[in-house]
Amino acid sequence: MEILEKIAHCVEFGKINKKSPYPPNMRNEDGADEYVKEALDSGIEPNDVLKEGLMIGMNKIGVKFRANTVFVPQVLMSAKSMSVGMAHLRPHFISGAVQRKGKFIIGTIKGDLHDIGKNLVAMMLEGNGYEVIDLGVDVGADKFLEAQKQHPGSLIGMSALLTTTMTNMAEVIVELKKVDPTQKVFVGGAPLSQEFCDKINADYYAPDPQGVIEYANSLLQLAS
Amino acid sequence: MTKKDLVISAIKLEETPRVPWIPFVGCHAGSLLGITATEFLRSKDHIVKGVNQAIELYSADGMPVIFDLQIEAEAMGCKLNWADDNPPAVVSHPMAEGVALEDIKMPTIEDGRIKMAMETTKQLRADNPDIALYGLITGPFTLALHLLGTDIFMKLMLEPDYVHDLMKFTTKVCNFMATEYVKAGADIVAIVDPMTSQIDPMSFEEFVQPYAAEVFETIKNEGALSSFFVCGNAKQNIEAMCNCKPDNISIDENISLEYVRDVSLNKGVSFGGNIQLTVSLLMGTEEECQRDALACMDTGGKKGFLLAPGCDIPMDTPVHNMKAIADLVKDEMRQGELRASEVATKEVDKLDLTAHWKSDKVRVDVVTLNSKSCAACQYMFKAAEVVSEPFGDDVICKEYNIMTEEGVQMMQTLGVRNLPTIVIDGKVEFVSQIPPLDEITKKIEAQLAKKKQLV
Repeated sequence: MEILEKIAHCVEFGKINKKSPYPPNMRNEDGADEYVKEALDSGIEPNDVLKEGLMIGMNKIGVKFRANTVFVPQVLMSAKSMSVGMAHLRPHFISGAVQRKGKFIIGTIKGDLHDIGKNLVAMMLEGNGYEVIDLGVDVGADKFLEAQKQHPGSLIGMSALLTTTMTNMAEVIVELKKVDPTQKVFVGGAPLSQEFCDKINADYYAPDPQGVIEYANSLLQLAS
Repeated sequence: MTKKDLVISAIKLEETPRVPWIPFVGCHAGSLLGITATEFLRSKDHIVKGVNQAIELYSADGMPVIFDLQIEAEAMGCKLNWADDNPPAVVSHPMAEGVALEDIKMPTIEDGRIKMAMETTKQLRADNPDIALYGLITGPFTLALHLLGTDIFMKLMLEPDYVHDLMKFTTKVCNFMATEYVKAGADIVAIVDPMTSQIDPMSFEEFVQPYAAEVFETIKNEGALSSFFVCGNAKQNIEAMCNCKPDNISIDENISLEYVRDVSLNKGVSFGGNIQLTVSLLMGTEEECQRDALACMDTGGKKGFLLAPGCDIPMDTPVHNMKAIADLVKDEMRQGELRASEVATKEVDKLDLTAHWKSDKVRVDVVTLNSKSCAACQYMFKAAEVVSEPFGDDVICKEYNIMTEEGVQMMQTLGVRNLPTIVIDGKVEFVSQIPPLDEITKKIEAQLAKKKQLV
């Protein structure tokens, strides 16, 4: 297996580093941590490590998650593997050797403290080459507006787990679109539906993280 | 048969005369009293008053005492964030903040709101001897997640022994709570473990099944029935949930009821669910709620099925939506109307009635449910017949019952929406209530006169 493939494989199956006991069939083998370092040391372009290694692995796990063949624990293991690999790339992001696809502002809506889903989406976006600005939980219009101002041209996503907080999204969307009518807003969370998304004038509803990534990528394609 | 017997029969997989209805009212009862969720969930008096009101208002066959999955966590040192329109949320996870498992205190009746919960159960028991009462306990995995936070997901993979130790501890808490609820008078104890929807079947089998099974065994030994509630898309774990040997499982709209029915009945476990919380109950019309509930009832059947919302209903659920479902459960005629119109809009070709209408005769078409329980249908048709008779050959009176395909087609073609209905020469004239006979006669006379003039 070529090293970039090995990196993708480690991310897909959640092999963080040599020390990690998971997955059992890869015990005592190198993980994403070791392979990314090795790849960079051998002179492979950081950009290729990201796009042909880490991102491929995250994409594969995203597709499996959508198909319900893996669940949150497996995705978190993959995301962890990806992030230890990303740590080696950080200097190259700063130097500009690796370009990110775009910025994505994300937060759980005001009144809501649930962040498992929001975090999963953030991790998947990061693993797909986006810079994620995570505003955390209980985020109101003011914080979203400030982030929109600081990071113009970003995509914005918000999540809710409660039927009572999901309605708060409507107001934030109005405010964001007042500032920038072309602002794209993504919504998600267990009680949401396409019907609700249409009602509050959001641009996209995704029932799973992979949907967010695919729609974000399609917007990028349209723009280029 | 009392309402409680009805629920117990269904849980035990026995045939029931009708589907039992368990409106999962939690903090929504606070809105019935005009108070916040916080005020509601902290007071025995409020809960007793609110739940009693909900039982009455929604004609409940069974009802949970308190729908709040934070009671145990609060008693064990997790901080809660209280809200006006939701149950509180756990905001601190002691084990994520460095507290060791050995230092987490096993709760006693004196901690947090546990005593209040049990006294509430006793009072509701005394007030409602004929209603099935559910004691709801936080499932062992969800409680573990409250204590440890989301780190638990990766620890399943990286430190399985640690998670097993934690699960053994939360199982003890579950056993304690279950025993207390049964002592206080609950008929059914439900383990509510929504976080299990987030894990794969292998993890469920290893980290949840043995522990949940132990709690169900405890409930059985205490002499009560048990249920396993899960929300979210837990389809992958339904079979494993049944393998924990609860008496019943209850699911929300994220999982198809057909699937759950087939898996659970095959395993000898009754099931319940899954009226949609937001699209139907919170945002839908009364008719949409009834249609959703009816679809559940028709899928569930009258053996081993309990009609319930997918989970704790939203606080602001309109009262009329819940009442519409309560009415439907007992109203076979309304069920028939909805079924017929559903079929009509979806699959039935309208009839060509060109030959049906006569230039010199009046048609009196009576669309009925033709159920033995539909006395109104029989009387309305009889009234139409009696009135038509004196007109002899000039009037053709006929009954179309929607238990036949022709009846359904006629209902749709004539634009009939309620049963029974009298249609005179294609015009819907009398709906549901049987009119005085002379009113029908007048309508027929007028229509006949018009026709004679034309001829």
